[in-house]
Amino acid sequence: MDDVKCGMAQSGIHAGFPSPATDYMTQAIDLNKELVRHPAATFYGRVVGDSMIDAGVDEGDILVIDKSLEPQDGDMAVCFVDGEFTLKYLRFHPGGLTLQPANDRYPSIRIDEDTDFKVWGIVTYVIKNVRTR
Amino acid sequence: MYALVDCNNFFVSCERVFRPDLDGKPVVVLSNNDGCVVSRSNESKAMGIKMGAPFFQIKHLVDQGQLHAFSSNYALYGDLSSRVMSILSDTVPHIEIYSIDEAFLHLDGVEPGEMLQLCLDLVSKVRQWVGVPVSIGVAPTKTLAKLASHFAKTYKGYKGVCMMDDDCKRVKALGMSPIGEVWGVGRRLVPKMQGWGVVTALDFAQRPREWVAANLGVNGLKIWEELNGNACVAEEKEERRKSICTSRSFADMIEDVQELALRVSDFAALCASKLRKEKSAAHDVTVFMYTNRFRDDLKQYFPSATMRLDVAANSTQEIVGTAMKCLRTIYRAGYQYKKAGVTVSNIVPADEIQCTIFGFDEELRSRHDRLSAVMDAVNGQAGSSMLRLASQRPGHFADGIRSDFHSRLYTTSLDEIIEVR
Repeated sequence: MDDVKCGMAQSGIHAGFPSPATDYMTQAIDLNKELVRHPAATFYGRVVGDSMIDAGVDEGDILVIDKSLEPQDGDMAVCFVDGEFTLKYLRFHPGGLTLQPANDRYPSIRIDEDTDFKVWGIVTYVIKNVRTR
Repeated sequence: MYALVDCNNFFVSCERVFRPDLDGKPVVVLSNNDGCVVSRSNESKAMGIKMGAPFFQIKHLVDQGQLHAFSSNYALYGDLSSRVMSILSDTVPHIEIYSIDEAFLHLDGVEPGEMLQLCLDLVSKVRQWVGVPVSIGVAPTKTLAKLASHFAKTYKGYKGVCMMDDDCKRVKALGMSPIGEVWGVGRRLVPKMQGWGVVTALDFAQRPREWVAANLGVNGLKIWEELNGNACVAEEKEERRKSICTSRSFADMIEDVQELALRVSDFAALCASKLRKEKSAAHDVTVFMYTNRFRDDLKQYFPSATMRLDVAANSTQEIVGTAMKCLRTIYRAGYQYKKAGVTVSNIVPADEIQCTIFGFDEELRSRHDRLSAVMDAVNGQAGSSMLRLASQRPGHFADGIRSDFHSRLYTTSLDEIIEVR
């Protein structure tokens, strides 16, 4: 090994000029961070049908579903009712809960103690491809 | 103090996250190729279905609608496992991931009075966030924590957490635990123990130290110390290589699947022989391929696929066979492939392969091992791959694998996420 050469390499000579942007380096926007607050609890779902069409949710849209959130009145939620996942608004009222669609052609579902039902997760964002439609 | 967090019937529980209709129903998950049962719900245990039971023995139950079976979906289980582990490590700074469904938490720094609540909170958090049930055993040693987690799982009253935090509880629990349930006591040791009159873990813990040393040596002493509350199972250090990769760029681009299969078989065989050379075995086999990214005029595709083996392996047959399955899932016609490779990872010492859990085919495994030894000997003398598997020749690739009851890749493929109406 040539000592002189080593010394020169360590003196830190750089070719060219440093980028003027170096001091302003920051992370680009990362939608994974913005849209997914709880990665361990976040799942995705695909919308089928038009039961939430008046809420702007169309067939094919992708739902960002956060299972860590406690259900609150007015949340849009993925629920499991009668053997399938369904997308509805949660409406709490004294003595119970109603699953409300955003489409007049669909009935609201009243949940009572006998209904086979669970809130699977709360929808936090809806991702829509507006181009290929 | 240590806490062992154990996911209950993990593979079945993963499937149920996306199939809530199967809660409370008998469910099993089958091994690769739908060979045998590797995970059972409590209801299918109650039906008398044994771990490792060959699928053909229970197929009639599935046909009659009495039992629901899934092919194993390791991409899903791996993803949910990493979610569980991340929740654990967000709560407790020092965790040791022991397997896909188990982790030890080091509770140093947690006030004794707060441990129970911390663990109860973890049980409900994992349940809500990921959707899988877990049991936690808390004790002064890892071996005792494992036993405590059995109790947490078995008795509803614990609400998922069993604290073995004083000597009275320890003695009582050991007295109720058959010696075969103790961590580190293998199947072969059980009849020997019983011959000595050691039926429960307590019988063993109460033997004199000298007796244990004389009859069972160092490993027996370790178990004995642990059962008596003296921690001596250290954290497993990762001294071995984490993965082994064999890959090559091709002189000419390859599109033909048979030709690719031939190359990938060779890479996989090489990985297997490297594993054997260092007396290791791997759980995961990954196959990756690249098209030529310098050719803008050609379609580009950089796929990879990983498959998990139920039991870590190092035989040429198993590694090559698994690589072929991976290749089958990622190969697309119409692309010119420039490079391919095989990575084996999740490497464990070959002599520590956990086999009792899945009750796998030891006879078949030992035949594979013997054949691999012969191949190593011949190939070593010939200086090349003189002895090869038939699958390292073209033509074999078209054979199908069975996975008739595969669930979706709910968390790893956007095309397979749940549908919501």
